Amino acid sequence: MLGTAGVVVAIAVWTLLSHLLAHGGGVINRLPGPLAVVRELVQYAGKDLGRDLVFSLRVFAIGWGVGAASAAVTGLLLGRAQRLGNIFLPIVEAIRPVSSIAWVPLSVVWFGFGLTSKVFLVGLAVYLVVIVYAVDGSRRVPADLERTATMLGMSGWQRFTSLVLPGTLAEVLIGSRVALMAGWGTVIVAELVAADSGLGAHLIAVEQSYDVPAVMATMICFGLTGFAMNAAFSFAERRLMPWRHDRTAHER
Amino acid sequence: MKRGAGLLARRVLLPVVGVACVLAVWEATLLVYRLPPIVLPSPWSVATTLVELVGTAAFWRDVGVSLYEFIAGYAVGVVLGVAVGMLIGESRYFRLAATPVIESLRFIVPFAWIPLTILWFGTSVTGKILLVAYAVFFVMVVSTARAMAQVEPTLSRVGTMLGMGPWRLAWKVHLRAAAPTLASAARAAAAIGWIAVVAAEYIGASAGLGLMITNAATSLTTSVVIAGMIVIGLVGAGVSAAIGALSRAWLDYR
Repeated sequence: MLGTAGVVVAIAVWTLLSHLLAHGGGVINRLPGPLAVVRELVQYAGKDLGRDLVFSLRVFAIGWGVGAASAAVTGLLLGRAQRLGNIFLPIVEAIRPVSSIAWVPLSVVWFGFGLTSKVFLVGLAVYLVVIVYAVDGSRRVPADLERTATMLGMSGWQRFTSLVLPGTLAEVLIGSRVALMAGWGTVIVAELVAADSGLGAHLIAVEQSYDVPAVMATMICFGLTGFAMNAAFSFAERRLMPWRHDRTAHER
Repeated sequence: MKRGAGLLARRVLLPVVGVACVLAVWEATLLVYRLPPIVLPSPWSVATTLVELVGTAAFWRDVGVSLYEFIAGYAVGVVLGVAVGMLIGESRYFRLAATPVIESLRFIVPFAWIPLTILWFGTSVTGKILLVAYAVFFVMVVSTARAMAQVEPTLSRVGTMLGMGPWRLAWKVHLRAAAPTLASAARAAAAIGWIAVVAAEYIGASAGLGLMITNAATSLTTSVVIAGMIVIGLVGAGVSAAIGALSRAWLDYR
């Protein structure tokens, strides 16, 4: 009830503002009402939305997969091999504060405006988040479990596949979920800057034709997609790792 | 003594080996593939570019503009975010009414607002300040509301017993109990806000570090791009450390 009231008030304020500002000069040039945005949204959905969405999601999926997989491999390596970790983890730590967003211009210089540059950026964004979880997971095998395994006569390889690997993979999954929004945000920026196709390219195109209702409609598409991905992942996570759900809910 | 030497090796020597490896691979790539400096400049030329940049007034103007946008937006975002987060945490009615609106806006990540802020505010600093405020606001709202909800119930009961009204209780007890959570959220928000500034400057700005490196990329002066990325990383780390130090000082003072 109250939730509906909140939404109704928000929409009413929006409508009112759009009427007040419709012809006014001032800072805000044009604020279309909710109806105009919905009309635009329906029109977009009937035309190019599917194609743009598929393109953006493909960039996201490939980048996310590549980033998470390479983070899992290097995380295991750097986490388990002490010496290697001491040498290379400080470098990872030094690169981490440089957000993947800062790599956008360089990626355009290197890979141009195609799919590769966007996949590189998303992969980097996801990698920089997941690597921390992977290293952590590979190191956090409980000592008594490891001792028990040795006592039971498990070989090094057996211990690796049945203790270290599952522990690391569970952490990698959690990290991949935490990296969801970082990856999706990077898709948006990458497509805005290196615009050739996808939702972000559409957003820039309508912005450049000063089409405010279409800009807002595209923003809503971004929001809905992010929401849907997040919901899908919480669902999958509850299914796959019921015991872990509480923890990620806090870290999100 | 031996232990100290081991620690020294682990903390200093091995990372140096790592950096040396990266630089060696970087130089070797240049030698083997004969890449032109447009694609990949040598580490040395990036270093000299960085030194040259630091000597120019334009560079400091760009840093100043970006930092100004960040600090103004961050302050607005933190104050509003904590205030609304407290309202949500304290008042059940407000929470029920505001949650759907906040939850649906939260998924429109700040970057998706960039084109709209440019339509509304042009390439001025106002759009960037609002964007940072928006980014920081949502991080702070969500974690403030959550921290308020998780305050030890005993504390609230003690406060009520001492005759505190609901708002004094919120201000004097809940906010203080939530302070450590808020401090770490403030740090996370700083990182997100800083990157929002840079991203907004890529797409439409009249000055700033983001504009500096996109311009350099367009004119294919890649050494400036990489030097700029290093500066963005350093400023981001510095900002985050400063927020961390400030919030620690604030927590200690308590």
